[in-house]
Amino acid sequence: MDLWQLLLTLALAGSSDAFSGSEDSSKEPKFTKCRSPERETFSCHWTDEVHHGTKNLGPIQLFYTRRNTQEWTQEWKECPDYVSAGENSCYFNSSFTSIWIPYCIKLTSNGDTVDEKCFSVDEIVQPDPPIALNWTLLNVSLTGIHADIQVRWEAPRNADIQKGWMVLEYELQYKEVNETKWKMMDPILSTSVPVYSLKVDKEYEVRVRSKQRNSGNYGEFSEVLYVTLPQMSQFTCEEDFYFPWLLIIIFGIFGLTVMLFVFLFSKQQRIKMLILPPVPVPKIKGIDPDLLKEGKLEEVNTILAIHDSYKPEFHSDDSWVEFIELDIDEPDEKTEGSDTDRLLSSDHEKSHSNLGVKDGDSGRTSCCEPDILETDFNANDIHEGTSEVAQPQRLKGEADLLCLDQKNQNNSPYHDACPATQQPSVIQAEKNKPQPLPTEGAESTHQAAHIQLSNPSSLANIDFYAQVSDITPAGSVVLSPGQKNKAGMSQYDMHPEMVSLCQENFLMDNAYFCEADAKKCIPVAPHIKVESHIQPSFNQEDIYITTESLTTAAGRPGTEEHVPGSEMPVPDYTSIHIVQSPQGLILNATALPLPDKEFLSSCGYVSTDQLNKIMP
Amino acid sequence: AGSLLLLLVSDLLLYLFDRAVVLSHYIHNLSSEMFSEFDKRYTHGRGFITKAINSCHTSSLATPEDKEQAQQINQKDFLSLIVSILRSWNEPLYHLVTEVRGMQEAPETILSKAVEIEEQTKRLLEGMELIVSQVHPETKENEIYPVWSGLPSLQMADEESRLSAYYNLLHCLRRDSHKIDNYLKLLKCRIIHNNNC
Repeated sequence: MDLWQLLLTLALAGSSDAFSGSEDSSKEPKFTKCRSPERETFSCHWTDEVHHGTKNLGPIQLFYTRRNTQEWTQEWKECPDYVSAGENSCYFNSSFTSIWIPYCIKLTSNGDTVDEKCFSVDEIVQPDPPIALNWTLLNVSLTGIHADIQVRWEAPRNADIQKGWMVLEYELQYKEVNETKWKMMDPILSTSVPVYSLKVDKEYEVRVRSKQRNSGNYGEFSEVLYVTLPQMSQFTCEEDFYFPWLLIIIFGIFGLTVMLFVFLFSKQQRIKMLILPPVPVPKIKGIDPDLLKEGKLEEVNTILAIHDSYKPEFHSDDSWVEFIELDIDEPDEKTEGSDTDRLLSSDHEKSHSNLGVKDGDSGRTSCCEPDILETDFNANDIHEGTSEVAQPQRLKGEADLLCLDQKNQNNSPYHDACPATQQPSVIQAEKNKPQPLPTEGAESTHQAAHIQLSNPSSLANIDFYAQVSDITPAGSVVLSPGQKNKAGMSQYDMHPEMVSLCQENFLMDNAYFCEADAKKCIPVAPHIKVESHIQPSFNQEDIYITTESLTTAAGRPGTEEHVPGSEMPVPDYTSIHIVQSPQGLILNATALPLPDKEFLSSCGYVSTDQLNKIMP
Repeated sequence: AGSLLLLLVSDLLLYLFDRAVVLSHYIHNLSSEMFSEFDKRYTHGRGFITKAINSCHTSSLATPEDKEQAQQINQKDFLSLIVSILRSWNEPLYHLVTEVRGMQEAPETILSKAVEIEEQTKRLLEGMELIVSQVHPETKENEIYPVWSGLPSLQMADEESRLSAYYNLLHCLRRDSHKIDNYLKLLKCRIIHNNNC
């Protein structure tokens, strides 16, 4: 029944508007708004109607009711507070406010209900506006035209956020001062938010409003916050002067790299050489390294003729010429003595240094004989004693070369004799300068080497080497004058086992020969004996052939033994004893004075004309 | 002693409370939306609000109705209360889903929301029971909760009555989910943040 009464009242209230036909278009007071700002109190407002006209309503009253229990309580209570909320309002303080209990209010005038409303408090929650709005500058763009700001505010004081009674969300709006339309941002739960891309030269307005989450409506907007972004001229200046150093460096490096690569890979040799000059490799000017490799000595020799260290005596047509280049560092050493002196002197250091071979270019060696090369270098490092050994080895090597033809022609038995035969011939060609030995019958001025090893001092002026000037077709050696000979040392190399040669072979094979060659026909045994004894004066015997040794094929040893002790004058030349054939001569070792000193006899080679001169 | 215990398990509680608040907030949103949709579709402007302000089955519970009462209730009772409300809604939600699903031209949006609410409420209940075990381990399992008996009214033949019943149910659901959400936020600020959220 109560319910029906309520409904009737409502219907009457609703229809009263339509039925009001009074002159006074007086309107009934109505609820305008009920609001709870903090969910603890609420207030309701209604319109203030001044009734004009005949109908004079009494004071307006508000009655409310709420359902505490499951049953409706028709007990309408009157508004507890008509004042606090202003005129035409009813204020319900916290004791009258229940959240999840629905309320119904009615407005009466003179006992007549004019308006009624039912609600629950949550539905009418409208928070107060946020307070304490402020903003801070976040950053300014590089161009200096835009800026970002951070806007902060606080929740309304009456909203109990700390206890969690209310949970609010906010909405921020902003616009330029002269604009009309506000820009809205999405609702946020926090009390600060960044605003991006505001123009620096414009002034902005910002406002915020709040709402309870999930229920209620938005409250009123806060006070407007004016944002004026300062014109920071300093910033703009700095931005203008921002010099792209990094870009310049990067592009510079890139460009240089490109240019470098262009030059490197371009065909322009001139530019290439300008930027990257070729590193000079060690080489002789004008000499092609390939030429040296190929071994064309003739060409190399001609080229080397330009060289400073080139020796004029160098005979380019001699393939097997070989000599040691002595490096004379001081002028004193030059005048001191010959190489022989240096070799034989006790001053090891001197000889050692003197035997130093110059660097690769000047140390010319004969053609491609590794043995010779090695001995050449070995001579630099070893003592003079050993160096003396090396040289005869070298000479032996020569002889080996020279005898190549003979080897091919001869049988093996004569192999050993080959070097031996040649050596004496070489030796005999050597003449000792200071020795006043008469010489005769020599076509060219040759020096005989009279080496007396027993007296090293007397050998000071003896040259050890003889330069081979020519090689006969038969394989014999023709020596050139004025060369140091190594004859003295070569003696050691003579084969101990000298095969006795038949005269026949002896004569047949050689175009010319020395007395020593004839001696080879002598049986070996005495030779061996001889050699063992004769070391000091070994050379003497080999160089000079006594008539007796020639004529007698046997019984030599005895005479030969005596020879070392004898001091028979040793002739520089020999007379021809036997003229066997056009192929060869046997020289007679007679001590004949030599009319011309310059007439030197080589190792037994005497031409017919010379013979005529010589022969008395 | 209780506060000391809370300090030890603060991290776990914080996580649990955060999760509970999220769930309760979610459930309340869904309930509000579901009610709005239902009202808009079926009962708007038809004066059901007056009829619907009958009662909810959970009204018998002495739930705090304003902030003062919420501050006065002690922590333990508060938690028990929340658990009771959640428990009492298990059955109504189940029947709601069943009945809406069986309706002719079942509204999909309302149905999906109802299904979601039922699911999330179960999870929230589990979380709350876990919180209670952490905060008040000595609490005995309290199975007393208000029983819902509105099923017959949901199945009434009269459409008006049936709609009224649904309206009432959804209205109560919205209110109770809001209560739970509010209570949990209060408790979180009280327990975790010491009234300084």
